[in-house]
Amino acid sequence: MSAALVYALLGLGLAVLLSVARGSMRRLIYGGVFGIAIAFVAFPFVQSLGYLTRETVSPTLLGLLPRYPLLALVPVALVAAGALARRGGQMAALGGIVAGALTLFTGLFLIGQPAGLVRLIPLDGLMELLVALIPPLLLALLGRRRAKLRWPLIGAGVLLGGLVFFWLNSSGGGHLYLPKMAGYYRLLGGVEPGLERRIVEEYNAGLEERNAILREIGQPEEKPVQSLGDFKGRIPQETAAQGYRLLQPSQLQYGAFAVFILAGLMLGAGLVQLRRPQLQEPGDLRSGLILAALVGVLLPAFDATEFALQKLVKGWPFLVSFMDKAWPPNLTQINPSDPERSIFPLQSVLSEMALTIEIALVGTFLAAIFAVPTSFLAARNLTQGSPLMRGLFAFMRTFYNVDRGVDTLILALVFVAAVGLGPFAGVLAMAIHSIADLGKLYSEAIENVERGPIEALESTGTAGVNVLRWAILPQVLPLFVSYTLYRFEINFRVSVVLGLVGAGGIGYFIKGAMDGGNYDQMIIGVIAIVIVVNLIDFASSWLRSRLV
Amino acid sequence: MIEVRGVSQVFQTKNGPFQALKDVSIDIPKGDFVAIIGRSGAGKSTFLRTLNGLLIPTEGSIKVEGLEITRLSKRELQKYRRSVGFIFQQFNLVTRLSVLDNVLHGRLGYLPTWRGLLGLYTERDYQIARAQLEQVDLTPKESARVDSLSGGQMQRVAIARAMAQEPRLMLADEPAANLDPVLSEEVMRILKRFNEQLGMTVVINIHALDLALEYARRIIAFKKGELVFDGTAAELTDELVDEIYERREMAA
Repeated sequence: MSAALVYALLGLGLAVLLSVARGSMRRLIYGGVFGIAIAFVAFPFVQSLGYLTRETVSPTLLGLLPRYPLLALVPVALVAAGALARRGGQMAALGGIVAGALTLFTGLFLIGQPAGLVRLIPLDGLMELLVALIPPLLLALLGRRRAKLRWPLIGAGVLLGGLVFFWLNSSGGGHLYLPKMAGYYRLLGGVEPGLERRIVEEYNAGLEERNAILREIGQPEEKPVQSLGDFKGRIPQETAAQGYRLLQPSQLQYGAFAVFILAGLMLGAGLVQLRRPQLQEPGDLRSGLILAALVGVLLPAFDATEFALQKLVKGWPFLVSFMDKAWPPNLTQINPSDPERSIFPLQSVLSEMALTIEIALVGTFLAAIFAVPTSFLAARNLTQGSPLMRGLFAFMRTFYNVDRGVDTLILALVFVAAVGLGPFAGVLAMAIHSIADLGKLYSEAIENVERGPIEALESTGTAGVNVLRWAILPQVLPLFVSYTLYRFEINFRVSVVLGLVGAGGIGYFIKGAMDGGNYDQMIIGVIAIVIVVNLIDFASSWLRSRLV
Repeated sequence: MIEVRGVSQVFQTKNGPFQALKDVSIDIPKGDFVAIIGRSGAGKSTFLRTLNGLLIPTEGSIKVEGLEITRLSKRELQKYRRSVGFIFQQFNLVTRLSVLDNVLHGRLGYLPTWRGLLGLYTERDYQIARAQLEQVDLTPKESARVDSLSGGQMQRVAIARAMAQEPRLMLADEPAANLDPVLSEEVMRILKRFNEQLGMTVVINIHALDLALEYARRIIAFKKGELVFDGTAAELTDELVDEIYERREMAA
């Protein structure tokens, strides 16, 4: 309850803060309307438990609607606020205040409810339908600008969507590969009266039998229960299997965060705009949609990445002790009694750093060697002559796109398996991945050459290859060199990481030191990387600025 | 020297087909100095580009010294083009290369492809290129990079490149439009000199009417793709000029 109020106050304060800068308030109201609408249908609001952890269902507000019909007030208020916001001025302000307050109170009412049993109502086919809607929508979007193709495209989209829907719903298709999809979206309904007593009685009736088994295996026996509260937030296995859950309205999920903060924002924006109705702009609807889209994308992402600063607070002592152990760096350690067992970390760092630079040099060089000729085939303006050239163009572009998708690190893992640990695997991986990146940059440089010199050389009767040699190459060569240098910069940083997967270099040293707990050796590597990265960036950008 | 018969050129654009040239027929004898005038988009540039095969007309025939150039193979077209110089409004030089390199490009059409690739020009090619540089007073700049030159010097390099082709016909597309009046006069004088001393045929697109009247022996005018005037400077009355540039409608 208090958390919800803090969220709401946060939103309110944010609105007031933004009003200081004379920003439009109406866009905040719009943002609140759309954001809460998204949260209402898509964000988990609270949670409901079963017997096992994986039986936990986190319902959205829409999912809770059958259990608490009062929640219907929220969408009604949102629609009203949206409509009033269109009219602007104090009407918009009133809409924001009323909808914000209503959402706030409905939400607070909900989370103030006691825990109770609910029944799951899976919506079969809903997720399947949503996925199946993607192809028709995409194709309709594609056909928007093409009057002639519009209807065939939409027709094809509907057909495709239908096929997708059919496939997803079939037991041999979608439900085989995506088993979670079936009935993923669930509503929570009320339960028949007397269910709680029945569950308690059934549990107590079966107690004798279960305790007999528990005695047999030497486990503590279970005691009879008086009410659901005695289960301590869980429900018996059989009840959960029958599709019942224990709804805990006080366990807030990120949807509650979104709803309360946005409701506070709407309320605050409405209050400000009531006093200053001129705080609105023509593009508010658009800005509101963007705000809502940001909320709609970012919040689930934060939740999925388990973003929690508390963990950092908890882990702080580790960081402190790490720094304690890492400083001062252990540059060398002579063992007087047994010189054979002396270690020289600084020496290792320097050797490994040299190796790292050498991996980047060889990888970039090999990539450039292959990218130069292929980039000419991947340049649109040079390959429109014959069907063969167009085919080569399509092939090269496809190769580049696939290759760009497979990162150096992944390639390195594969090559380490194939050619063994060591820098050779790293060089291969780097060369192959960089071909695509360099080739794409090169071919774009070729596509952007000035047409004039080409036309001039053609008009002197020069043969095609010589036009390439004398009109295009002089124009693109400095760019090629510049891109290659830039790629070398990137490749150096990549080759630092390559060591972590066993492909040699400074990363390998750091991983070894880290695994052995020798933080005072590892820190030398880190410092060396910082210095060399900056040196290389500086040198390369200086060189590049002289080239172009 | 040039016989143009019923030439039409249609471009397919986003807003449907655009007819850049409509049924153009004209004869240009050897040694003539022709200036083409007309408003922007009247078809002047298109006409010039069809004369050296950078564009192939949709209809009609063009004979240059008896050679039908609208139906040449790629190889034959390259051979034809090396005998036709072309000077561009934007100079179209390879700015990162030296002045001499750019002039030598005029000789590439005469070299076997492999020698061209390696830049193995013959001694004669160098002589011709240096001689042409001297003609346009740029001998001291021979090894300078083109992007260090002024606009007037660049256009002179472009002229030297075209002259290095030892052309029978010189085409120039607004050669003076990017230059100040003094340099424009200079470019026109150079072309006039080549025309008079070497008997080289010159066809030139030009905006500046005064330059056209002063230097050209013959003036032709395009209006919306059609040839609307063909005569000497003296025959071009003010009324005709107004008609060509559609000035009356603007004044009204």
